[in-house]
Amino acid sequence: MSPPLLRLEGVHKWFGENHVLRGIDLEVVPQEVLAVIGPSGSGKSTLLRTMNLLEEPTEGRVWFEDTELTDVRTDINEVRTHLGIVFQAFNLFPHKTASQNIILALDKVLGLGEREARERAMQELRHVGLEHKADEHPGRLSGGQQQRVAIARALAMRPKVMLFDEVTSALDPELIQEVLDVMKRLADEGMTMVVVTHEMGFAREAANKMLFMDEGEIVLKGDPRAMFDRPEHPRLRQFLSRIL
Amino acid sequence: MIVTEGRTSQENIAQTGAERRLSASALITLLLGAAGLALVIVGTFLVIVLRGLVPYERVVEGLLSSETLWILITSLVLGTVAIIGGFGRYGRMPTKRSREQAIAGAVLGIQAVVLAAVLLLFREVGDPDRFVFHFFNIEFLQGSGGVFVRAARNTLILALVGELGGIVLGLLLAMLVLSKRAVVRAPARLYINFFRGTPLIWQLSVFYFGLSLGLGIRPEIALGPIEFGPAYVSAMIVFILNTGAYASEVFRAGIQSIERGQMEAARSLGMTYPQAMRHAIVPQAFRRVIPPLMNEFVILIKDTSLIVVLGLAASEFDLFTQAREGYATTFNATFFTAAAVGYLAVTLPLIRAVNAVEKRLRSGLVTVTS
Repeated sequence: MSPPLLRLEGVHKWFGENHVLRGIDLEVVPQEVLAVIGPSGSGKSTLLRTMNLLEEPTEGRVWFEDTELTDVRTDINEVRTHLGIVFQAFNLFPHKTASQNIILALDKVLGLGEREARERAMQELRHVGLEHKADEHPGRLSGGQQQRVAIARALAMRPKVMLFDEVTSALDPELIQEVLDVMKRLADEGMTMVVVTHEMGFAREAANKMLFMDEGEIVLKGDPRAMFDRPEHPRLRQFLSRIL
Repeated sequence: MIVTEGRTSQENIAQTGAERRLSASALITLLLGAAGLALVIVGTFLVIVLRGLVPYERVVEGLLSSETLWILITSLVLGTVAIIGGFGRYGRMPTKRSREQAIAGAVLGIQAVVLAAVLLLFREVGDPDRFVFHFFNIEFLQGSGGVFVRAARNTLILALVGELGGIVLGLLLAMLVLSKRAVVRAPARLYINFFRGTPLIWQLSVFYFGLSLGLGIRPEIALGPIEFGPAYVSAMIVFILNTGAYASEVFRAGIQSIERGQMEAARSLGMTYPQAMRHAIVPQAFRRVIPPLMNEFVILIKDTSLIVVLGLAASEFDLFTQAREGYATTFNATFFTAAAVGYLAVTLPLIRAVNAVEKRLRSGLVTVTS
């Protein structure tokens, strides 16, 4: 088996008195599509956000390939270019057009020339089917379109891992599918993905591994279909019975 | 739209003769109130202005003329009728529209009555001759047009330099205050609190006298053909330092009002903190702080009058110092009236502009278009 892209070791996170992550050990290997499910407040998003150090673990260590993110000497900005993340609230820059949103980091971080950055931005917009919206500001796009631009923006950095933080939770029901379709295609193309989601259908169809979290711990890890079809663990069974 | 029209026409059909008469009386009330107020303002103004403003006795004659008396009495009557008609019947009005007309007519009537009564009282009991002589004596201003234009220019230069320098300094201070490191925050906080906590007039005095007397520094600046001496230049510097302190608080609030996700998105793309600030956060924050910064500018324009305490050369006088100079040599307060006109000519359009920008920002148009 190939060496893991991401590795977490004994990760704890406290927010004040609140013990949100309670000793997480986890590896993500190349081409893995890892779905993370669990009740709200179980620490799924916090776990995802420690993977690119948006949340600094209170305790424990995080590696990307051979680089330890939790080492203060690590250039976190460089590592983050390999870890794309997409947020629940899209977080597009509202003062920039769709293509400018993508070009900004290509220019300022990767130092691509103007033409190359523009070409790559258009290529990624095409990838998510929004080439024709290149010059629109986010305020003029639907939620689903904004989220697809956000995915294109992350992909344009050519990351090795994509992190998805409940990316369809803020969308109107009829806009969810277009985003899931993009993610599904990405998974089929072999992208390594960690997907925190409430979309059980997506977790079942697109993921090849699944985590069930509860109260800051990984309760179960395994094959998504098996976990959905034969939920043996009582806490998982309780969770699924409440949402399905 | 269609639904509303439909309902209105139904109402019209359903209206009885009594209701129609009430609706008509509401409109008449509105017209009476409006006419009363217009008459007392425009009528009095015209009677006075058409006689001429110079010499001041003309103005007094205008005020005391029988035309003015009739105008004021007519306004009183119109206003009173509107008040009685509007307040007496608004509760019985059949439509919302006619009720609003009745109320508006009554309120305009109150304004007309109050204004007309004050003017009548002033005319009959007061001393118009003495008042007009001191406050509206245009004769004294003759020949001062040039110096007042120069004074307005000096006021504007001072305010503009203070505002632009203050914006640059304020942005810098905001960055320091927003640092996660206490050692960086502390000196910036100290600076800001000092300048917000001491009177501007104290800052002006101490900086000027401290610089020129204490340190022997006498800065001078020439902006093209315009030359400014130590007092004026010291004031420029103090207005920059002071505005910087206030602007930094405006910027800090503006930057903190940008959703946390924006910084997270920028940092996740590999941008450094300064890059994220420069390209993602500050451009958004800047748009949000335009109205409060413009308000600061209006305040600054008025605060420049405090340089009256410094020893300015005549060519450096601002509007207020110029007015005080005129008063000091003639003991006539019309110069202060002229200064007020000068300040308002600048501040009123600015205040309008602030409101327009705020409205545009509230409607969300700015985030979409620019």
